[in-house]
Amino acid sequence: MILQATTLTDTIADVLGSLGLDAANPLVVLLAGLLAAALVATIVLLNAALAGPWAKRKITAAFTDRISVNRIGPMGIGTIVVDSVRLLSKELIIPEKADRPAYDLAPILLASSALLGFAVIPMGSGIQVADPEIGLAYVFAVASIASLGLLMAGYASNNKYSFLGGLRAVAQNLAYEIPLVLTGASVVIFAGSLRLSEIVAAQQGTFLSLGPVAIPNWFAFINPFAFALFMLANLAEVGRNPFDIPEAPTEIVAGYQTEYSSVYFVLFYLGEFIHIFLGGAIVATLFLGGPAGPLLPGIVWFLIKIWGVFLFTQWARSAVPRVRIDQLIEIGWKVMLVLALINLLLTAIIVGVVA
Amino acid sequence: MSLQERSPAEPDVGVTEDGLDYDELADLLGDHVLDREEHVNAEGFVIRPDEVEDVLSTLKERAGFDHLSAVTAQEYDDRYESIYHLKKYDDPTQELSVVVPTSSEEPVSQSGASVFDTADWHEREAYDLVGIEYDQHPDLRRILLPETWQGHPLSNEYNQTQPQVVTLREHANPLQEDKQSPQDPDTMFVNIGPHHPATHGVLHVKTVLDGEQIVDLDPDIGYLHRSEEQMCQQGTYRHQIMPYPDRWDYTPGGLLNEWAYARAAEDLADIDVPEYAQVLRTMSAELTRIAAHMLAVGTFGLDLYGDFTVIFMYAVRDREVVQNLLEDLTGQRLMFNYFRLGGVAWDLPEPRQEYLEKVREFTDELPERLEEYHDLITGNEIFQMRCIDTGVLPPEVAKSYGATGPVARGSGVDYDLRRDDPYGYYDELDWDVVTEDGMDNYARVLVRLQEVEESAKIIRQCLDLLEDWPEDDRTIQSNVPRTLRPDPDKEVYRAVEGAKGELGIYIRSDGTDKPARFKIRSPCFSNLQTLPVMSEGEYIPDMVASLGSLDIVLGEVDR
Repeated sequence: MILQATTLTDTIADVLGSLGLDAANPLVVLLAGLLAAALVATIVLLNAALAGPWAKRKITAAFTDRISVNRIGPMGIGTIVVDSVRLLSKELIIPEKADRPAYDLAPILLASSALLGFAVIPMGSGIQVADPEIGLAYVFAVASIASLGLLMAGYASNNKYSFLGGLRAVAQNLAYEIPLVLTGASVVIFAGSLRLSEIVAAQQGTFLSLGPVAIPNWFAFINPFAFALFMLANLAEVGRNPFDIPEAPTEIVAGYQTEYSSVYFVLFYLGEFIHIFLGGAIVATLFLGGPAGPLLPGIVWFLIKIWGVFLFTQWARSAVPRVRIDQLIEIGWKVMLVLALINLLLTAIIVGVVA
Repeated sequence: MSLQERSPAEPDVGVTEDGLDYDELADLLGDHVLDREEHVNAEGFVIRPDEVEDVLSTLKERAGFDHLSAVTAQEYDDRYESIYHLKKYDDPTQELSVVVPTSSEEPVSQSGASVFDTADWHEREAYDLVGIEYDQHPDLRRILLPETWQGHPLSNEYNQTQPQVVTLREHANPLQEDKQSPQDPDTMFVNIGPHHPATHGVLHVKTVLDGEQIVDLDPDIGYLHRSEEQMCQQGTYRHQIMPYPDRWDYTPGGLLNEWAYARAAEDLADIDVPEYAQVLRTMSAELTRIAAHMLAVGTFGLDLYGDFTVIFMYAVRDREVVQNLLEDLTGQRLMFNYFRLGGVAWDLPEPRQEYLEKVREFTDELPERLEEYHDLITGNEIFQMRCIDTGVLPPEVAKSYGATGPVARGSGVDYDLRRDDPYGYYDELDWDVVTEDGMDNYARVLVRLQEVEESAKIIRQCLDLLEDWPEDDRTIQSNVPRTLRPDPDKEVYRAVEGAKGELGIYIRSDGTDKPARFKIRSPCFSNLQTLPVMSEGEYIPDMVASLGSLDIVLGEVDR
């Protein structure tokens, strides 16, 4: 498996160049970038569409001993089309005293912030829109714009449940983003770079050889503690059990999205799933060797890994109780943060001593 | 607590070896007792309407009547009457009715709410439906009907054709002003319900929040009020009332509810129940209890885990097996209508042996299933984190609020009518009353799970009995006249252990084939009253969990 050093934008620009356009022209580069972004967005949205109306139901049904959708298409996959039509054709109800345009911007902000993160993720098979030097910092930065979207939604809806949900979302994201970033930083210390392609490259090679089985040099194996910590913080970051308290249907109805319907609701829903996938993508890139894997092309391996993380979130959702808001904050600040700091410190010491 | 003023060695007044000595109790009350009535279940002491508090507190402190089971209000041609049905948690067979007549012109009676907390809601209901006003009541508002309702539906001069204009002005635009607690401007008023995912039906909880914490909480009930008492008053004893109890607790507590009516009416009309029918009743009622507890545990899972939890589906899966068994037996899945006065509707389904085998298979598999629940729920650390020491209900408070059933037993109150006031076949069987001392949400879930096990134990013994029952002795119903006309002015209050606790029925006959007054003492109604005690000062999620662990059914709360 050869990791390509060039980005998808460069590849497309080259193709455009071979068609007779000037590959160095900034406009052509822009066109190439837009095409690359469209392609990546399509891949991500396709997966989110598959996950939201269909896979999520099927997975939850498998956990709860049910059959779930099975009427339209093989295994009920036609539900995706039916559900999309249903959701999009519903009436868009906007509360009278909603604070616009914040109310309208919030769902767009949520969905797009998650999508933006994918711009720098190396998805294998040369699919990566851009590969900036500060890749990881960029991903964390855009992913946390989502909290702003949640707060806007909660505040602008003029609904007390939404308000509580928005506040909960911000409190939760504050408490868990710091351990998340700190744990991510420990990987950066190992890899010696924020550039995502370099982090992936650092995970090539073999960590341990057990006879015929070669355990790759993934950071999940090198530092399983950081991996576990990251997975946990990631659950909170994407708001799934046991940390789904910003929505907490049985407590505050639907949290920040209580007052959203139709297209806006779809955007929220989509944004949530893209967020889970972005979380999966970060986990895959930082800890699971990115698109690395035998036989199959890189993009397939990459998708398998992010779907694995998705499966994990659904599993937790089916089997784990929700913690209380004060317990969540306590776990975040008093446990996770401390563990993340210890992890960072130990990693720094080990890397410093060994290297 | 007032109880502590008395030294524990001093025995309760009126307790003798062969039950209560009412003369002694009358002596204790002295001049308070104007007259003595003979009810089927106990004697009734008639007292003056302005001495209620004195009498109740004397009886509570000196005679040990610490359980105000219910307050029944009714209107006669010449007077209004409130009856306080008193019992003891230690021995519910020791009963006493305190009868408080008031004049028709000015139906004002002193409130008992300062003695028993539970009287608060019961008197509000009496005021709402019958129209008796309670002096010194802390909060005398309507409870089941809207506040703008005109007239009192169970009073004699109530005009049924009068149009009711229910404006609900205060809910016209709840956004118009932000209702804050006047004492603390940092608080926020939130209506939780009547349409909310966690209220288990149409319950409305008015909450005042300080951040995420609950400062003040007021359950608002009555959205599912269907005049069940009145409907029962318009049905004939023999057949027309029995279908109604299925509609009170439909989780399904159906058969247990039916038993409450059957027990009261059979005592009222002196009907014997053949032993064989008692065994059938006991077995089917315990099957219902398992189904009801399964649903309680499952929905508690929803409250605590979220909408996508496996627990709900696991619980429903096991409940489904019970429902199929009950369907085979009664022909119905929810509204069973299986009991009849004097027995049950029909015998076990044929082939008999096959059915018994099916039930046995279910009870034999149950322990394994319960192991799964304990692994999944009670063994989970996050679950314990959420449930232990939340929704705390101390036993003294539970008693004062008249809490019964798993709620009381989760607070360590050892009270179960199946054992303490035996009926059916229970006292012949070997089983235990489950209590937990935790007083919290966790204890209540544990009690339910263990009670399922005990119910299975009871069912297994019933199966053994049924298998060996001689074929020529299988009488399913005693001989009951086609039309029942109990003697006029006979009064009875009888309770059974329903799925949620003590389900009591008060019936007064007037010589016709329909009851003159039919009063339902709903366990959920009393249990729900404890919610503010459990939840004030706690977080919203804990309030939701406490509500779930109370396991209320709004059909039974509102009736």
